[in-house]
Amino acid sequence: MGDKRSAFFTIVVIGAIIGVFAVADLIQEDRLFSQTENRVLAARPGFSWEGLLRGDYAEAYEAYLTDQFVSRDKWIAIKTNMDIALQKKEIRGVYLGADGYLIEQHLPEAYSAIQEAKKIALLERLVWEWDAMVMLVPTADNILTDKLPAYAPYYDQTRLLRQVKSQVGPEHYVDVYSVLQEHAHEEIYYRTDHHWTTLGAAYAYRAWAEGRFGEAIDYKKEDMEAVTEDFLGTLHSKVNLDMPGEAIYYFPDTDRRPMKVTYDLKDTRYNCYEESYLETKNKYGFFLDDNHGFVEIATGYRNGRTLFVIKDSYANCFLPLLLPHYEKVYVIDLRYFNGRLFRFMEGYEPEEGMDVLVLYNCIHFLEDFAYVE
Amino acid sequence: MVFSSIVFLFRFLPLFFILYYLAPERVKNLILFLGSLVFYAWGEPVYVLLMLFSTAADYVHGRLLGRLRGKRGARYVLLSSVVINLGVLCFFKYADFLMETVNALFGADLPHPGLPLPIGISFYTFQTMSYTIDVYRGQAKAQKNLLDFGVYVAMFPQLIAGPIVKYRDVEKSLHRRSVDLCSVSDGLKRFCLGLGKKVLLANQLGALWVLVSGMDARNVSMLTAWLGILAYAFQIYFDFSGYSDMAIGLGKMLGFRFPENFDYPYISASVTEFWRRWHVSLGSWFREYVYFPLGGNRKGLPRQLLNILIVWVLTGIWHGAGWNFLLWGLWFAVALMLEKLFLKKLLSWLPRGIGICYTALVVLVGWVLFALDTPAGIWGYLRAMAGMAGGLVDRQAMYLGRQYGLLFLMAVAASLPFVRSLANRARESRTGFGIAAYHFGEKFIPAAILLLSIAGIVDATYNPFLYFRF
Repeated sequence: MGDKRSAFFTIVVIGAIIGVFAVADLIQEDRLFSQTENRVLAARPGFSWEGLLRGDYAEAYEAYLTDQFVSRDKWIAIKTNMDIALQKKEIRGVYLGADGYLIEQHLPEAYSAIQEAKKIALLERLVWEWDAMVMLVPTADNILTDKLPAYAPYYDQTRLLRQVKSQVGPEHYVDVYSVLQEHAHEEIYYRTDHHWTTLGAAYAYRAWAEGRFGEAIDYKKEDMEAVTEDFLGTLHSKVNLDMPGEAIYYFPDTDRRPMKVTYDLKDTRYNCYEESYLETKNKYGFFLDDNHGFVEIATGYRNGRTLFVIKDSYANCFLPLLLPHYEKVYVIDLRYFNGRLFRFMEGYEPEEGMDVLVLYNCIHFLEDFAYVE
Repeated sequence: MVFSSIVFLFRFLPLFFILYYLAPERVKNLILFLGSLVFYAWGEPVYVLLMLFSTAADYVHGRLLGRLRGKRGARYVLLSSVVINLGVLCFFKYADFLMETVNALFGADLPHPGLPLPIGISFYTFQTMSYTIDVYRGQAKAQKNLLDFGVYVAMFPQLIAGPIVKYRDVEKSLHRRSVDLCSVSDGLKRFCLGLGKKVLLANQLGALWVLVSGMDARNVSMLTAWLGILAYAFQIYFDFSGYSDMAIGLGKMLGFRFPENFDYPYISASVTEFWRRWHVSLGSWFREYVYFPLGGNRKGLPRQLLNILIVWVLTGIWHGAGWNFLLWGLWFAVALMLEKLFLKKLLSWLPRGIGICYTALVVLVGWVLFALDTPAGIWGYLRAMAGMAGGLVDRQAMYLGRQYGLLFLMAVAASLPFVRSLANRARESRTGFGIAAYHFGEKFIPAAILLLSIAGIVDATYNPFLYFRF
């Protein structure tokens, strides 16, 4: 091939890449929303001379171009696969674990002893005031350690849990860690999501119920039914890899008796499962209608007992399991609550008193557990 | 505007070159000049005026110098030009730093101007200074055409991060230059390789440095510290040399030949050699406009050592307004002086490998000074590198080593000349296979790098919003 012909050919190849994508990008229509990223994409900024002179316009325009760039999702997939080819075992804060497990990364240096001490002190207040039970659930990186990439650092939650146990006293502490550790080789965490599974929650339930009532309802693994087979959770969204979906299970027994569930004091349903979520990306929202500031459940069991739960989203698949033990269950998510907690609780406490349960995963506990008395 | 962005690659670049190539010869410079202003003003709309001011000022000084050549007044005109250029540079780059220093030393309370640094100011003021000095010395003719001169200063490929092009190197091409298929194709390939260096190597390794430099140095193990600073060394090399490659490539596509700026610096066997291979255009600028006028090595050893010291103090603070940059310059000054005194001779007797290790050590410690801006930070990091903080090896180091091992290997390969010699051997081979491999590789490797780089650029903004995270 002559030099000239060869050069011409090179220009055509590289020019075509730039030209084709430039033109394709120009003619494609803007998207409002990205399914994979689950967010509204930047829109074309309005032009103003003032914005141009300040430089804001250029900045906004570049954000717009990149957000709307033609086949954005594919480019991102290419980059992710490039990282994997380079033997990276961590993508955007998610470990690519063994057996297809995506495991959220929590670095040891992100959580200080001071932060632990502060949260524990707050928890202690609550426990002494209300005689509450504490269930802190370790996240997957602490239990599925043999699935982590080699040498992957993780924040070891045993120190926190030991401290909690000694400060609130063993009689107020449910040892979820050991229970999950025992079942570490079962499907107790989702592969694509940061939550524990219904099965993981069921094992923890048994430990809690045996401690509280001396006996537990016998939820058997075989009795679980899948409500969907193609759940791709938050961790999948972060890495955006091609992965098979996984199942979300529930125990049909928990759904036998009519109940009355009131969300945020206004929205009443007669079931603690919301099937509409199974059609969306956020399928974990199936449990207790995703996240609400305050949920009241009248269970239909006439045993006169009341439970008040202070929780994060880990509790959503856990709570349906314990409903038969109570007549009334109140559930508060402190992230959506601004009032005075103790006063609020007093408002719901019946004369004969109520049980109080605090249920968080360790990370959410450190990051989000906060209240004003 | 930066080269590694969607707006440059898919809006500015195609639009500009279509216009440029279609335009008749006599308006090409106008298009290049206006295009460059758009390129600069995109991110710095106000400071484009400053650049125009510099351009106009040096154009006028150049004309005066051309007319006064050999007369006594010429000196004052040159002085005025240098004062204006350095004045602008000092005001915008060093004023904050100077005020802070004075305040700290004398407990004064001078106000900070707090101006953001105009992009590329260190590069274009050095270019315009080279012009007036060359005209004064008679090494270049004064440019009569304001547009041609404007193109020299503002030309977008090297405007922001060099190479620093001396006026006389491009004097002829400013007025008349030719482009053929080969130079366009070479330029495009060079651009793609530079983009890949920046996006695929520099940015990725930069993430490791961000991680390590963000750690508490008191518990960083020796291996982690070395991985961190190596990552930084590769990051800054590929970032900067990638940018130069892109500039040189774009220059070729326009018909310019810019000087090479990097020549495999990390294979140097002495610090002297390192600085002949690293940021060559800056080194040669200082040599020509500071070191030689001070007498260079012709006035005896003590004077030569002093000259080295002066040049490296200036080189240090050219890189940024901060004490750590000064320290960085001094660090190299000391190494260079020792080499002048005896070390170079000693090294020449030893195997080259030892020289390379010694140079790497000096340069890596240099990067610690360069990258960290507090004495405590520098000291803490050096301690960690010496294994005096968090032990020799820990879990974290093993993990990072495995995460980044392959990337490091690629970075090492890309900073050695052997990839190029492999390409050369393929080109010169006479076997059908070698020729075919060369022709295939020289087109599709840059194209593949371009595609992967686009993925890297788009991915940098991947930002899943997990409101259902909880």
